[in-house]
Amino acid sequence: MILLTDGLAWSAIYLIIGLGLVLIFSVTRVIFVPFGSIAVFSALSLGAMESGHLPAMINLLGLFVAVAVLMELWSIGRQRAWGRLPGSLLRWLVVPLLPCLLAVWATGQDSEALRVVAAILLAVPLGPLIERVALRPVAHASVLSLLIVSLVLDLILAGLGLLWFGPEGIRTKASLNGSIAVSSNLVINYQTLLTIAVALVLAVLFYVGLQRTRMGKVLHATASNPVGARLVGIRPAFTATIAHGISALLAGIVGVLVSPVATIYYDSGLILTLKAFVAAIIGGLVSYPLTAVGALLVGVAESYASFWNSGLKDAIVFGLLIPILVIRSGLVVHHEEESEE
Amino acid sequence: MKQRIWKYAMPLLMLLLIVAVPQILGSFHVALLNDIGIAALVVIGLILVSGIGGALSFGQAAFVGIAAYTTAWLSTTQGLSPWAGLVLGLVLTCGSAWLIGGITMRLGGHYLALSTIAWGLAVPLVFANTHALGSHTGIDGIPPISLGPWALDASRTVFVLIWLVVLGGAWFAYNLLGSRVGRTIRALRGGKILMASFGSDAFRLRLTLFVLASAYATLAGWLYAHANRFVSHTPFSLHASIDYVFMMVVGGMSQLGSALLGSALYIGLNNFLQDVLPLVTDRGAQVNSLVFALLFLLILLRMPGGIGRPLSRLWTRLRPRAKAPVLPAPSRQLEQRSMPERGRSILNVQNATKRFGGLVAVNGVSFELKAGEIVGLIGPNGAGKSTMFNLLTGTLPLSDGTVSFMDEPTSGLTQRQIALRGVARTFQHVKLRPAMTVLENVALGAHARGHCGLWRGGLRMDREEEARIMAEAMRQLKRVGLADQAYELAGSLALGTQRLVEIARSLASDPVLIMLDEPAAGLRLLEKQALASLLDTLRSEGVTVLIVEHDMEFVMSLVDRLVVMNFGSKISEGRPDEVRADPQVQAAYLGSDA
Amino acid sequence: MFQHINRKTAARFVARSLVASLLGAGAIAHAADIKVGVILPLSGPVAAQGLSTVEGIKAGVQYQDSVNGHQLKIIQLDDASNPSLTTRNARKLISQDNVDVLIGTSSVPGAMALATVSREEKTPLVSFTPIELKDDAAAWAVTTTQSGDTMVSAVVDAMKRNGVKTVGYIGFADAWGDVAYAALQRHAKEAGIEVVANERYARSDNSVAAQVLKVIAAKPDAVLGGGAGTPGALPYIGLHERGYKGAIYGTHAILSPEFVKLVGEAGEGLIVPTGPALVGSQLPADNPSKAIIDEYTKAYKAAHGEEPYDVFSAYAFDAWLVVAEAAKRVPADIQPGTPEFRTALRDAIKQTTKLAGTEGVFSYAPDTAYGVDKSSVVIVKLENGHWVLQP
Repeated sequence: MILLTDGLAWSAIYLIIGLGLVLIFSVTRVIFVPFGSIAVFSALSLGAMESGHLPAMINLLGLFVAVAVLMELWSIGRQRAWGRLPGSLLRWLVVPLLPCLLAVWATGQDSEALRVVAAILLAVPLGPLIERVALRPVAHASVLSLLIVSLVLDLILAGLGLLWFGPEGIRTKASLNGSIAVSSNLVINYQTLLTIAVALVLAVLFYVGLQRTRMGKVLHATASNPVGARLVGIRPAFTATIAHGISALLAGIVGVLVSPVATIYYDSGLILTLKAFVAAIIGGLVSYPLTAVGALLVGVAESYASFWNSGLKDAIVFGLLIPILVIRSGLVVHHEEESEE
Repeated sequence: MKQRIWKYAMPLLMLLLIVAVPQILGSFHVALLNDIGIAALVVIGLILVSGIGGALSFGQAAFVGIAAYTTAWLSTTQGLSPWAGLVLGLVLTCGSAWLIGGITMRLGGHYLALSTIAWGLAVPLVFANTHALGSHTGIDGIPPISLGPWALDASRTVFVLIWLVVLGGAWFAYNLLGSRVGRTIRALRGGKILMASFGSDAFRLRLTLFVLASAYATLAGWLYAHANRFVSHTPFSLHASIDYVFMMVVGGMSQLGSALLGSALYIGLNNFLQDVLPLVTDRGAQVNSLVFALLFLLILLRMPGGIGRPLSRLWTRLRPRAKAPVLPAPSRQLEQRSMPERGRSILNVQNATKRFGGLVAVNGVSFELKAGEIVGLIGPNGAGKSTMFNLLTGTLPLSDGTVSFMDEPTSGLTQRQIALRGVARTFQHVKLRPAMTVLENVALGAHARGHCGLWRGGLRMDREEEARIMAEAMRQLKRVGLADQAYELAGSLALGTQRLVEIARSLASDPVLIMLDEPAAGLRLLEKQALASLLDTLRSEGVTVLIVEHDMEFVMSLVDRLVVMNFGSKISEGRPDEVRADPQVQAAYLGSDA
Repeated sequence: MFQHINRKTAARFVARSLVASLLGAGAIAHAADIKVGVILPLSGPVAAQGLSTVEGIKAGVQYQDSVNGHQLKIIQLDDASNPSLTTRNARKLISQDNVDVLIGTSSVPGAMALATVSREEKTPLVSFTPIELKDDAAAWAVTTTQSGDTMVSAVVDAMKRNGVKTVGYIGFADAWGDVAYAALQRHAKEAGIEVVANERYARSDNSVAAQVLKVIAAKPDAVLGGGAGTPGALPYIGLHERGYKGAIYGTHAILSPEFVKLVGEAGEGLIVPTGPALVGSQLPADNPSKAIIDEYTKAYKAAHGEEPYDVFSAYAFDAWLVVAEAAKRVPADIQPGTPEFRTALRDAIKQTTKLAGTEGVFSYAPDTAYGVDKSSVVIVKLENGHWVLQP
């Protein structure tokens, strides 16, 4: 039973990551590998703020802001659309720096809740910034090329992480201490319950948000038919930014949920993403409910596998990806693949 | 003359270098070159399967690891000779590649890449956690390779072996790409329907390439283990696989020479940065991988052809390149099949029906084709002609009814099997390989008439058959009147010319029946006339042709008989003048009030 | 977009190299420097230890940077925790830079690889990692750390003193975990203690819930953790979460301030064997290492502005000490940079007797790489985030 609850907690984490991955893929056709690294940065920032240091995430954001602003200036300059300048600066310079100010303030304060919020919010600008800087220039490439770019991006983020956060692992204070005893040999931590609760709430919000709100419909439209969406006036760049922003928010939440229960290193992100990815593939990268099922499977499978042989548990989880891919692709009618030349 | 000098001088020069270099350079640089050579081996295989074959693999380092650990384990704990390690390594590595590939090569695009990532992650994890393989510590004290009395235990001596293997591997790959199998490898990116149309199985070819790439990886792993005398799991991680992809991309994905270029660049740059970065920052080591990732990203975004492409253009300008490969004059022609006598029924369609869910695209159509005639299958847009075409070629399965070719029902046969029985086809959107010459494109058509496989192709033992295939291709080009453009790149031709090339390709397969899919689409008047006269000539030579077309004028003067479809059913059949006068046909094309 | 970054970096690079070359031009080449090749992991999984050892070496240089008129010059390379790079770097340092001695590296496979190269190229190696070398293989290499066997033996003694009768083990699923477990089995048997559980976990694991459950089920009096570095904290955190009330022990491999921070209150009362450097200020005055530890603390403070707080830098400082002290004993007529010097240096190192280092008293011998025995080991207990010397 303990294994089951442990597995469920991780399922919850993979579910949240899966939601973010599916969102980005469905809107932009990018398999967003750096998701885990963003989550890890938010966790590392929380750790830094807890020990009274300014989180190095500020440097990271600063770097991306600088590059993004320059790219915007370049493109505005080329089109001589100077009218766009104030809006662009607002979006790419002022807004991303707001969470940084919050973080600076939070580092000095003693409130853990404030720090958690700051850590989550710090992650949010990173998503759209990455999209603007590295993905938008190649937005028309094939899914495969985007995958490669995405992988390399994650390498870059991990490298920057090593540079600015250092190689040591951290673990933050649990948001909720203590546990409840459900039965004589089953003790569940509040942290575990919190994680599962957050995941469920987010899943419901997602479902409702995408079906009911206008923004949700806009995102859905862009995902189903990008050209059609453009024809009715929805700008793909805008939806991409929104999708990445929401996804980065999810990443921030994942980061602060995961850091009290696991030691986080600068390169822990990739493995997190890839395991959640197995769940997303079960959902075919399009269906949120199926992704939830997938996350459940992956989390529980991992927990039991780790009991059996902890060293090989990752190998088992990844090994499972191959038959899942085969089953998945067998279920979808395959159209003739694009001739690439 | 220049060709001959080039042919003999180059290998001699290389052999000289291989022997001389280790004597000149210091042991560190020799070790560096060894690393470059081993990496180049892996990248050659990667280029074959991913760069040219189109199946991107992020798992090559895992195969290198399997081979390295196999030979390490065998030669340390079992005390066997390194050569036994090589043999068993090949068996194990190629065997696992065959298994994995069998499962995953059917996946398309990014699913395939993802499965290789899964594989590339899982295998080194298994290494790191297997006690018998030393877990995180690895296996130490691996014996060196011995050639008889000489033990290759210093970098200088193993250098010779490594680079001989690299040169041999590159030679094999180069020959392979220029051979019969090589042409199909280069055609892989055209898609599996194209491949099936001349009798090649895309899945099996991809699987073969995957196993071949793993064989290269085996050689690399074997050499790595016995040159370094130590293995651990770190050099076979996913990161290493990504590095190999980097080397391939940097060098230029579809050029063989880029294997060497990419690995030299990567390892050399790494070394250079290691010396230079500490001068700039004292976090030099940590910036190293960052710099590489940045570089990779830059190249992906800005230089998709890699550095190799501009270099190879320079190379072709420098090197005297013969117009055609030098082939011996063939002793005889390719075997030809015996054609059915004129008037015999060769294609019999009985009540063919195709349903897509509730939509009936083809509804009980029946007609017959006799040898030596040209039949047109016409109808307005949406009549179901394309669906009918696909039913005949085997691209789509029948829902009901039968199609028989030469008295054999085609219902259980794949496209490829139908093509091998003598049905050739062209495509509505021309499917030529733009980077191959016209002659090579036509030679693809003769694929099924040749027999030399991977080994004969790679070892250059296929020259006689190649000569025959090329002669046949030239013959067909002459037939369609394009012999003077044989060595032009197919992508540079006008659309009408391309269609003629496709017809030549179909003819090269020595078909009983040629099926043309909207051949007149997009052609100018003069081109249409040329096409019509070619088809006329073919008919007089005994070729049976089925044309699916909706350009009435083109077919009217050309065909012997017409079959007219509308809304999935056959509405008329007969000679062109009969069909033209048929009121139902008129209503279909012009509307019922005409 | 990235073009701009590259230009900026390039400009900075040009500026700094100009400055470097100007300064370099002004330096006078000393009479035959003794070149010390240092190979460390500064990125990758073991980077944390690598970075600590860099601090230790810098303190060493601060303490002593020349011997017999020869300047001790460092050439440092990063091996990114990858043993193939370790080998390549070693060959580079030997054939390109002509180093007289190698110091390195922090990971065991890397250090073993270095030992192989040092043997082939006949260049002495001073490491600070537990490398198991015997007889001929140990002819050219020494290490400043204690062997895993020695340390486990010391901690088993402590267990016996504290009345432990049964012990459980949670260690790494790799060579280090194996070494610690084998030593535990051997010495526990001698001490009459029964080993009741043997669980393993991977370095990269995030939690060890399953293993902890199995160990608790066996109800041992004490649990020995066989991990290293920050991942070594996991068993203690897991045990604490499940409410384990028995005694907790560990090996010297977990000693680092990050470990202390990570383990938090789960590590309260943890008993660990270590060399004297960690608790230098608490040592009695007659401890042979006390004087050198003071020197080390002074040098470290001068080089970094703060006091040393981990053991990896102490081991590295000792390595430097061994090299410097042995170099003193090389006959003056043999010049650095020659094969004779390297052989003579190796001989001097191997003849080191009772050299007081921060982590113990070193005496080397030709047939093994270790130079410290149980007599220099002290036992410390973690109380309130500080290590307290136990009598």
